[in-house]
Amino acid sequence: MKKAAVAAAAVFAVLLSVFVFYDGVLNKTSEADFFSMKTYVSAKVTGYESDLCTAEIQKLVENLDVNILSRTSGNSLVSRINKNGGGELDLQTAAYFSVLLDVCEKSGGAFDFTLGGVSDLWNFGSAPSIPDEKALAEALSHSGYEKISLSEGRLSMQDKAAVLDFGASGKGIVLDSVKAYLVTRDIRNAVVSVGGSTLLFGDKDFTVGIRNPEGNAGSYIAKLHMGEGCVSSSGSYEQFFEENGKRYHHILNPETGYPVDNGLVGVTIVSESGLLSDALSTACFVLGIEKGSALAAEYGCTAIFITEDKKIYIEGDADIVEITDTTYSYGN
Amino acid sequence: MEIKLFRKWDIAVIALIAAAALAFAYMSFSKSENPQAVITVDGEVIETIDLSAVREKIVITPGTDPKVVIVAENGEIRFESAECEDKLCVNSGSLEKGGDTAVCLPAKTVITVTGSDVDAVVY
Repeated sequence: MKKAAVAAAAVFAVLLSVFVFYDGVLNKTSEADFFSMKTYVSAKVTGYESDLCTAEIQKLVENLDVNILSRTSGNSLVSRINKNGGGELDLQTAAYFSVLLDVCEKSGGAFDFTLGGVSDLWNFGSAPSIPDEKALAEALSHSGYEKISLSEGRLSMQDKAAVLDFGASGKGIVLDSVKAYLVTRDIRNAVVSVGGSTLLFGDKDFTVGIRNPEGNAGSYIAKLHMGEGCVSSSGSYEQFFEENGKRYHHILNPETGYPVDNGLVGVTIVSESGLLSDALSTACFVLGIEKGSALAAEYGCTAIFITEDKKIYIEGDADIVEITDTTYSYGN
Repeated sequence: MEIKLFRKWDIAVIALIAAAALAFAYMSFSKSENPQAVITVDGEVIETIDLSAVREKIVITPGTDPKVVIVAENGEIRFESAECEDKLCVNSGSLEKGGDTAVCLPAKTVITVTGSDVDAVVY
């Protein structure tokens, strides 16, 4: 009798130790927070190789920023292309750029990654001000995705004064690169945010908040219930300034060079692709609800539009959206 | 001859393993309760504050360039002032509940309140 009890205790102890050990090792969580891509990046990884992953994610993001996408790092690919009016792309970058050109075309230019000259004049992110009209017209005349061509891994600019800028798509490129890395590692799940653009990776039921346009940075008006995927938002509340009583935000209409003014305060896109979620959030904001919905549908993405009068319009998978702030209601 | 399955020392060892496993399990499953405000500068944690335990106003100046002043009081924490150009951090307002975050990019300073009910907030 006593022996049986001791044996049971032994089995229990061993099982418990094994369980706790495995749980501690296999569900170990590691976090990294750092500044890159001109924003705040956070990575939270759960699984056996989580420590390795957070360290590698940081290297990967910093490398993409400094060596490929940054316009301020003199030696980056994008800086060299802007300086030389073109350049050779590696296979991966060529694939990303080709998707971006497709978004430019399908959105009819509502998304355009050649607006660097225009956004420099507005100078959002440091000391923004309303640009001089002539200077703006001049910068606009040198922008336009039609001036860019991509052939056999070489990007050429017909107008050498065009300025490539990845402010509205670089975060998505980074998320896709991080995802491509994570699939090779032994982990359970990961949440990686570059600014507000977020990758949710792995087999888990994730909950994502959509920021309250009028509230603090952490407060949200709706929750998304989703599996693996990428979520990006573009909002007029993100970066703005006021001059002569008028509010100017950072999402510019590529046609006019001025902030978009169409009754929207935010657009959130859910997609398998980080690049599409990032680029389409800007494109759909510029296009407005009707045309934006059509574009999101064309790419098979879910789009959530938030209007100034607190209505929420959804294109795609409406089941994933739960409005948590009762001052907002469904528009469609 | 009778073979003893367990000796005295075996039992002691088993008891020890069981106790250690239970203690470890207790530690890993009971995470802290109160929302903590964590302040980091360039990824390094410089201060952790239990917001519910703040009785008197706490002022923190992390010594960054540009200078930022952080104030915790009445269960809330905020960027009181910042010498940067865009003041996005000050405009973030007061943080009180889990998941609230305010970032000052120029000063590489982040305030996060722990214990969110969502995995991420997109903005």
